[in-house]
Amino acid sequence: MDALGDWTRRQIFEALRNGPRSVGDLAAGLPVSRPAVSQHLRVLKEAGLVSGRKEGTRRVYRVDPAGLAGVRSYFDSFWGEALDRFAAEARKETG
Amino acid sequence: MSTVAIDAVRKTVLVDFAPAEAFELFTARIASWWPVRSHSYGGDGVTAVVFEPHLGGRVYEVSDAGEQDWGSVLEWDPPHRFVLDWQIGEARGTEVVVRFSAEGPGARVELEHRGFGAADPRNRYESGWDVVLEPFVTSGSD
Repeated sequence: MDALGDWTRRQIFEALRNGPRSVGDLAAGLPVSRPAVSQHLRVLKEAGLVSGRKEGTRRVYRVDPAGLAGVRSYFDSFWGEALDRFAAEARKETG
Repeated sequence: MSTVAIDAVRKTVLVDFAPAEAFELFTARIASWWPVRSHSYGGDGVTAVVFEPHLGGRVYEVSDAGEQDWGSVLEWDPPHRFVLDWQIGEARGTEVVVRFSAEGPGARVELEHRGFGAADPRNRYESGWDVVLEPFVTSGSD
């Protein structure tokens, strides 16, 4: 869960959640170079969170629904475990 | 705006507490049960988990690295319901809704974590992105 541990990467992912963008679009809105944006996109791609497609002369990136399904799956386990602990504490206190 | 359809996470648990007690255990007393080792940024280094029990309250962990926000209270209706603006990892901008209702002598606690496919409402407008980041633009590339 640390593909978004980096501030810039999180900003890039947030931007893509609002709609598809090219590397140039993303770099124009951030205080980092295009190569740096590309590097961050590579990490997001490897994490399955975004996908890229060539459109004309540029490559456009968008949020990958399969990646979001992975995030959902992570939180499904996350809350399952947390609520188990919550119920266990309640059981302990009620004897 | 992104509208990818991803189902909400839904969980239900029954406890032998009245709804008001269950509500308090879940919120103000979260530190007594939250599994910090696996459910935090700092793991074993976490020294406190805080749920400020009021509208606008912060939910956060404390470690040597300082405070790390998990979310904030969007709706506060004790002992029935609260809603958090969840800010962890890839789920940044999603919502966690927890409802408490009477079930026999105890309480039913229903949790819903929703909004995985939606854009963060604070960045809802296309122009909002540009406006927010304008001060950070350092060069006029392209």
